[in-house]
Amino acid sequence: MESNKSIVERMSRIFREVFDDPSINIRDDMTSADIEAWDSLTHIHLIFAMEKEFKIVFTIGEAGGSLKNVGELRALIMKKMGG
Amino acid sequence: MGSVPFATSDSDRLEGHKHLSTHMGVELDYQRIVRAAKKLKLGDSAPLMRLAILGDCSTQQLTVLVKGLLGEAGLRAEIYEGGFDAIELECCDPASALYRFEPDAIIILNSAQTLRMAYLQQPSEATAYVGDCLARIVRIWDAIQSNCRAAILQSTFAVTPDSYFGSFELKVPTSLRAITAALNANLVAVARERTGILLHDTEAVASWVGRRQFFDDRAWDLWKLPCSLEHLPRIAKCIVDVLLAFHGRVVKCVVLDLDNTLWGGVIGDDGLEGIELSMHGGGAGESFVRLQLYLRQLRKRGILLAVCSKNDEAVALLPFLQHPDMVLKRDDIAVFVANWEDKANGIQRIRAELNISLDSIVFLDDNVFERNLVRELLPEVIVPELPEDPSSVVKFLSELNLFETTSLSNEDLQRAKQYQTEAKRRESAARSTSVQEFLRSLDMQIVVSRFDAFHVPRIAQLMQRSNQFNLCTRRLGESECAALMCDESFIPLYATLADRFGDHGLISVVVLERQPEALMVRDWLMSCRVLARGVEQFLMNHVVAQAEQLGLKSVMGEYIPTAKNGMVRDFFQRFGFTHSSMHQNEWVLDVSSYQRQDTYLHLAQSGPSIHTPEDL
Repeated sequence: MESNKSIVERMSRIFREVFDDPSINIRDDMTSADIEAWDSLTHIHLIFAMEKEFKIVFTIGEAGGSLKNVGELRALIMKKMGG
Repeated sequence: MGSVPFATSDSDRLEGHKHLSTHMGVELDYQRIVRAAKKLKLGDSAPLMRLAILGDCSTQQLTVLVKGLLGEAGLRAEIYEGGFDAIELECCDPASALYRFEPDAIIILNSAQTLRMAYLQQPSEATAYVGDCLARIVRIWDAIQSNCRAAILQSTFAVTPDSYFGSFELKVPTSLRAITAALNANLVAVARERTGILLHDTEAVASWVGRRQFFDDRAWDLWKLPCSLEHLPRIAKCIVDVLLAFHGRVVKCVVLDLDNTLWGGVIGDDGLEGIELSMHGGGAGESFVRLQLYLRQLRKRGILLAVCSKNDEAVALLPFLQHPDMVLKRDDIAVFVANWEDKANGIQRIRAELNISLDSIVFLDDNVFERNLVRELLPEVIVPELPEDPSSVVKFLSELNLFETTSLSNEDLQRAKQYQTEAKRRESAARSTSVQEFLRSLDMQIVVSRFDAFHVPRIAQLMQRSNQFNLCTRRLGESECAALMCDESFIPLYATLADRFGDHGLISVVVLERQPEALMVRDWLMSCRVLARGVEQFLMNHVVAQAEQLGLKSVMGEYIPTAKNGMVRDFFQRFGFTHSSMHQNEWVLDVSSYQRQDTYLHLAQSGPSIHTPEDL
């Protein structure tokens, strides 16, 4: 199973790409309020980019915003990857 | 345009779309295009397109992608994004923001999901459903065309993956799949009959990707995306390809290598019996035959074929003359270059003989060295990275969509023949003792006439394609040309030319505006195929005679320099025009001081489309 650290690193890379900000390092308590470029448009991009990176599929509820923060997103990704 | 530095084979594709790209040499990846679009800096001199995107789905992402892809092709775009599902509202209101924006083109995206929802919500099985949907779309076209002159880019309807009957579906005329197919067929039929309606074939994109991958109902329900974000760049590329063709970026000639490109093996080493090229033998021999059939089809629709091969000419010609399974014949090749010089030289020679620009040439060669050499020395030439496997070349070229166009005229269908008669003219010229004698011997007949509905498609095409002999390079579309037809303040003229070797077709367009004191040249362009025949001299005589007849004292004109129209820099000067004192680019001719030009052209008097000067 892939380590938590490596998944966080891969997620951070996607965040940096999607929000076009090389300084982003994700934290579990992060929300869209913490990243200026995180709006409805980039959210869609983020969802698709995560799916592509981790070869997973979010349900409509997960993709639509039932997740509270980045920590929940991380936990969900790990669960979907079989962790 | 430029190189396409990637290869796609089926095995690549299975590994997950790693190498997909547009012909501009970019990967069709949402992330990449969005980022590139942000960083793109185009100068004010880059051509600008004013576009409106209207959809019954979300268009935000698409707008970014269209802008990005156009930017990578060197075009700036200002985009008006319509409100969500407000196509009818904006198009039917003459005072809408859409019309105030004055778009050059209006892109309409009708989604399969909206069609599906409307279909499923019908109270009963209405048999008139297709007719109603079609009427609604045509009403929107009508509204647009009565309010502005923008070209319309209409989407086709993708077929959704939901099935209600299985294979029986198509046998039920009121089923969703049958209705979508009928709607597409009817839409296309109406678009064929009308001017100014272009299609961007969303259904073809969906089929190419595969409906299962293309559609993402989750993304529709949440965000009203017409397809998965992953495939949205393909919709954008499909639209941008049409826009680029509309802007005049079209391929005119395919330059072909021979050994291991048109046939397997090396003719000089393997001989006539040894090369791989077989209609019936199966295997790679058939792949090469299929590629040749594909190329011959392109030739039939007006794209010129040329050969550029490192070979002795006699050896290179052998298969064309003697191989029983050779599809392409010597006559199919407009220019045949076989020698041992480098290929950049050969392509330059082809370019010069055909009088076309380098960026309208595609070069196909299996050899990576030759491809790189041409990319290096002639960066404008489009050089696709050919797949190693000859069986996948046709599919690969089709995916690049290099041969998009916005019209198909009789000239296109005649073009290959015209270039053959051109060769005969050249022979005749070589035998003549002087240019004058040659021109006289051609027995040239010119027709000069006001725009008419029959010729509008070709007129618009010439306006979009002429780069070199073009004084103002205004790219008027079909609807704009049609509007000029009945505008009393304009004298929009076209000219056709024929001689004893054959018909050149419609080769020149001159649009004049009647002003109180002067006749103003708004457009003057000519196909470079008829340079040095005296056509422009004949037309200038005609223009000046028009001015005299209308009692106008002067003829005025403007030269707007572009990267390509240097050959007409001195156009007005040659006819005795002088610089206008008011505007720098403007030229003026005093009608009374005009020196009539001698030509060897005869005004043809026959044919119903000819107008006497009184009609003009």
